[in-house]
Amino acid sequence: MSDSIDRRRRLILGAALSGVASRAFAQADAAARPAGAPSSQRMEPLHHIDAGPLNIGYYEAGPADGPVAILLHGFPYDIHSYVDVAAQLAAQGCRVIVPYLRGFGATRFRDSTTLRSGEQAALAADVIALIDALGIRRAVIAGHNWGGRAACVAAALWPERCTGMVTVNSYLVQDLARAMVPISPQYEAALWYEYYFQIERGRAGLAANRREIARILWEDWSPDWDFDDATFDRAAAAYDNPDFVDVVIHSYRHRFGLAAGDPQYAELQRRLAPLPPITVPSVTLDGDADGVLPASDGRASAAKFTGRRIHRVVQGAGHNVPQEAPEAFAAAVMELVKA
Amino acid sequence: MTENAPAPRAPSSKRLEPLRTVDAGVLNIAYYEAGPADGPAVMLMHGFPYDIHSYVDVAPQLAAQGCRVIVPYLRGYGPTRFLDPATPRSGEQAAMGADLMALMDALHIQRAVFAGYDWGGRAACVGAALWPERCIGLVCVNSYLIQDIARAMVPARPEREVPLWYQYYFQLERGRAGLAANRRGITKILWEQWSPNWPFDEACLERTAVAHDNPDYVDVVIHSYRHRFGLADGDPRYADIQQRLAALPPITVLAITLDGGGDGVSPATDGRSTAPKFTGRRVHRVVPRAGHNLPQEEPEAFAAAVMELIKA
Repeated sequence: MSDSIDRRRRLILGAALSGVASRAFAQADAAARPAGAPSSQRMEPLHHIDAGPLNIGYYEAGPADGPVAILLHGFPYDIHSYVDVAAQLAAQGCRVIVPYLRGFGATRFRDSTTLRSGEQAALAADVIALIDALGIRRAVIAGHNWGGRAACVAAALWPERCTGMVTVNSYLVQDLARAMVPISPQYEAALWYEYYFQIERGRAGLAANRREIARILWEDWSPDWDFDDATFDRAAAAYDNPDFVDVVIHSYRHRFGLAAGDPQYAELQRRLAPLPPITVPSVTLDGDADGVLPASDGRASAAKFTGRRIHRVVQGAGHNVPQEAPEAFAAAVMELVKA
Repeated sequence: MTENAPAPRAPSSKRLEPLRTVDAGVLNIAYYEAGPADGPAVMLMHGFPYDIHSYVDVAPQLAAQGCRVIVPYLRGYGPTRFLDPATPRSGEQAAMGADLMALMDALHIQRAVFAGYDWGGRAACVGAALWPERCIGLVCVNSYLIQDIARAMVPARPEREVPLWYQYYFQLERGRAGLAANRRGITKILWEQWSPNWPFDEACLERTAVAHDNPDYVDVVIHSYRHRFGLADGDPRYADIQQRLAALPPITVLAITLDGGGDGVSPATDGRSTAPKFTGRRVHRVVPRAGHNLPQEEPEAFAAAVMELIKA
């Protein structure tokens, strides 16, 4: 029984991956990868700070006077996507800040009445509120998935706060006006969870089975990543946040125009609607084994980067690039720090 | 049939022709008929996203054994048409069952074996449950298929939700647009996912896919998948039938239920969880390797089940 389901899931992935048209140049040093942190290692201690509507739980490493890198995780992940990246950047002199996004881990809403929005404008506003609270003027903002989107939005709307940007999957600002335009069926099939979350069955399913859903997504999105149970469990603890389900469901409904945004972000969302360009220096990374957003050559999104932009395909990496290929991700941050 | 020498399959070029048409209820139904007019009648009901050619081998096998075989295109498929442009293009289960009854009435068939899979299996279950006096026996893939809409918002295990991607997709207007634009692409993915052991060729897919060019296909499909989640209203003319179905009525007639051992969307079961829904004699079988399109993949097993009911 489960055999046929596994086979079918691989089939979805296979169909998605077969659409990969081209692969740009690869990391030459992929073979000589240092050993990563053990899956028992946690990013601790955490710090907590009031920032905008949140009290944000975050990890910090490196010299307080070093150039700042903000590392933003995705869904369904947590700060431990950066367990190796953070250590590597700190060792090279960066001040590294790794916050839990709203709805994840130790981060909490300060007011019980605040809408548990997961919209793109909110995630970026949280980043700016965090660096304001920490007295950080400018930083490299780096992320993947939701965190990559937050990085793109912040870089696009607050370029004066952003010395450079690293994202996985290039330009991630959502085009809500085109959210109802279908894409080819094999890519739609891979988005099953986004469609599932549109109905109350999906909300109930996420609430009841958050770990199982996340594990399916990890496996589908990173087919070559041999993570162990301890690695998964370390991240999955972050989904027990009391706002996790609300934030996730809102995020996936809002991006299809099927949930209203929080009015406090309406002006930001209005500025995001025309898909503003990113003017700051950028490095964009694609994992060539990414099972949900297949690697690209970066050309389709080139027009959205009006400053210097380097695009790379990281061989062997899936969707969780910073955790799967930390050297490639850290190197991208360091290039921007040194630029 | 013998274990070692399976009967040859009809080539992908073979079509079930000629078609006949008859006004039946709200539809003009196109159907294929084979076998002696005075033989025991068998209604062979296809599913989504398939067409009558799921029975391209079953129909001649049954006809050769003396059955009168009727294979209709469901509403929204092939040459079947709505008589009135104002009729709601409902895909709800009650409508599928009512269409089956209307067709039998129009053809003056008093009793028949109801056999089907997927949507057609559901139509067969609805017909057997509500009109047992018209049903000699039921053959159904995936056992009891009447929808429990009151529990539609109860999640299944995540690994069972993943293959239902298209059902969730169809809840959005993006899914409607995607189905309209990419009906063949969606069909091909679902066939591959649901029947991983079935080596169908492009001609076989295309023979069926033309049935999805029906002008009502998108409306009927989208309505079907929204209605079952309680997210689209039913056609009021079927409200009474739907109300009776809400109680999940038992099937009292003779029944044979088949599961495909390689079914990628509704994994094979031992039939026990659905046993209380069959209050008459019921035999359950798992057909090794068969996927979701069981009559086309394993026609001998499907035809044999029908013949057992006729001979019973």
